[in-house]
Amino acid sequence: MQKKIEKVLMPMAVKLGNNVVLRSLRDGFMIVMPLIMVTSFFLLLGNFPVKGWNPFWEGIFGKNWDMWFSAVYNSVFSFTGLLSCLGIAYCYAKNRDLEPIHIAAVALVAFLILTPTSFNVGKTTVSAVKTEFVGANGVFLGILIAIFSVEIYRFAVKRHWTIKMPDGVPPAVTQSFDALLPSALVIIVFFLVRIIFSVTSFQTAYNFIYTILQAPLKHVGNSLPSVLLYNFLASLLWCIGINGPTITNSVWSPIFFVLTQDNLSAWNHHQPLPHIYTQPFIDMFTTYGGGGSTLSLLIVMFVVCKSKRIRELAKLAIMPGIFGINEPLIFGLPVVLNPIIAIPFILTPTINTLISGLAFSWHLLPFTNGIQLTWTTPPIISGWLTTGSWKGPVLQIFEIILGIFIYYPFIKMLDRQYLAEEAKAHADDLDIDFSEV
Amino acid sequence: MKVIIILDQIQAGLGGKEHADTPLGGKKMPMGSADNVEKALKNYQGEIIGTFYCGTDYYQANRDLVQRKFAKMAEKMEADVVILGPAYDYPDFSQMACEIADYIQSQTKIPALVACAKEKNEELIEKYHDNLVIVKMPPKGGTGLSDSIEHVALGCDTVVQNHDVADFKAKYCY
Repeated sequence: MQKKIEKVLMPMAVKLGNNVVLRSLRDGFMIVMPLIMVTSFFLLLGNFPVKGWNPFWEGIFGKNWDMWFSAVYNSVFSFTGLLSCLGIAYCYAKNRDLEPIHIAAVALVAFLILTPTSFNVGKTTVSAVKTEFVGANGVFLGILIAIFSVEIYRFAVKRHWTIKMPDGVPPAVTQSFDALLPSALVIIVFFLVRIIFSVTSFQTAYNFIYTILQAPLKHVGNSLPSVLLYNFLASLLWCIGINGPTITNSVWSPIFFVLTQDNLSAWNHHQPLPHIYTQPFIDMFTTYGGGGSTLSLLIVMFVVCKSKRIRELAKLAIMPGIFGINEPLIFGLPVVLNPIIAIPFILTPTINTLISGLAFSWHLLPFTNGIQLTWTTPPIISGWLTTGSWKGPVLQIFEIILGIFIYYPFIKMLDRQYLAEEAKAHADDLDIDFSEV
Repeated sequence: MKVIIILDQIQAGLGGKEHADTPLGGKKMPMGSADNVEKALKNYQGEIIGTFYCGTDYYQANRDLVQRKFAKMAEKMEADVVILGPAYDYPDFSQMACEIADYIQSQTKIPALVACAKEKNEELIEKYHDNLVIVKMPPKGGTGLSDSIEHVALGCDTVVQNHDVADFKAKYCY
């Protein structure tokens, strides 16, 4: 069975894992992610989910006290499209063995070339960039600009369309001259693209990409079947030793990123939250204690199992497990290539996804607000902070307990096997005494 | 075929990086990751007669002692071959694996195989790949784990049966 799964999944996993564009996309978002996490903290402080929080601080610092915080989080949240373009161009250029910083800068310029830079306020034309173009709605445009910028630049470099400087010129000067013609080519192409779109009914590349690509993909990704497939594949791949989320994120991360940003923006503006299936939903309401939702497994191991081997491992792994680190369990139990544990390891996060998806869609609790906590934030705290409601932790506790019941029969099977081995060990004294040598 | 496997604290199921001070020890049975290796060894009538383990920090502080004790005990238990790994791309464990394998091969008649990833271990592999049989394996979470474990089992059979190691190395090793 395991062999058959590997035969089907392995080529797909290898292809996705090795695809340089998808890898660059994933790594590019990783450049933006820490900025989102840090500034999320400021957003959280400005809107802490405790009754009376805002009036209390208003009483001390005055009405506009939250502006200090909004200056910080808007510096990232309003520019996620632009920042994604920069990060992805940097990573893609690096993966293509090109000078990443030059290309990241030229991709940024290309993005701005395609961005409307004036709009009407009444009868007056204002020269400014609306953040709707460079924020979450511009993420897919940013991705495409990043990739095409690198490809155009690479096209020029491969044909040696560069200005060669004589020996002895400092490297920084040589590099900037090397970048001259390829950068010019990128800028000319996007200049032409802007003109082409301006004569169509779309008016801008932003309108075209948003209508044709981003909105439909968001719609498909923002569905229970899509997220069930994501978590099912991620868990299944772990069971055959492959870091599943690394592969599945290559496909889903742009969609989750945009959906999360939409919720964050809505929360920031005190509007209804639009989406269920955000990154915090995936991180905080489908797996607890790491891939496979192994916190439930650890609790069973800790409380119910009798074999010395499992109890020892549980004792050592429970603290890291609470913070989402399950490496000792994945390799030490082991989970990888272990057909007995594979079944609940896949089943638990998939069932959690189904229950959470239904709970949110039936409005039993508020949607996740888009706040990006670090993946090490323990459940209960994470459930409260990401929903701003006590119902978040309740759902988490319910799913952790449900996971305990799912894992129970399988880990008991392993426990009985280990107990038999330990009984034999007791009889044969299987401890190796190194003082003898 | 009697096999001894040497693991660090993570692979032996004795905790994470925070337990790198785990002192050397062992059990006459497969522990942690050794379970998967034993399944592959069964295809070659191999069995794991002992899992030796040691925390990577403990090894760094007691290198000579660990190398000597592991080699002597492998001889005493009359192992046909010693496996060091799977070490994935853990650099500390990969270093420990290569150094112990080198010691066992130079101080005993028992052949030793290492399984580690090239990621984070380029210099180490460069240093040891001529003298040791270092089976290619993916980094943690990479593709091809079960293939590499099967290659380790095949490698054990190859060295114990005195088959052509050069051919095996060319196909499956660094």
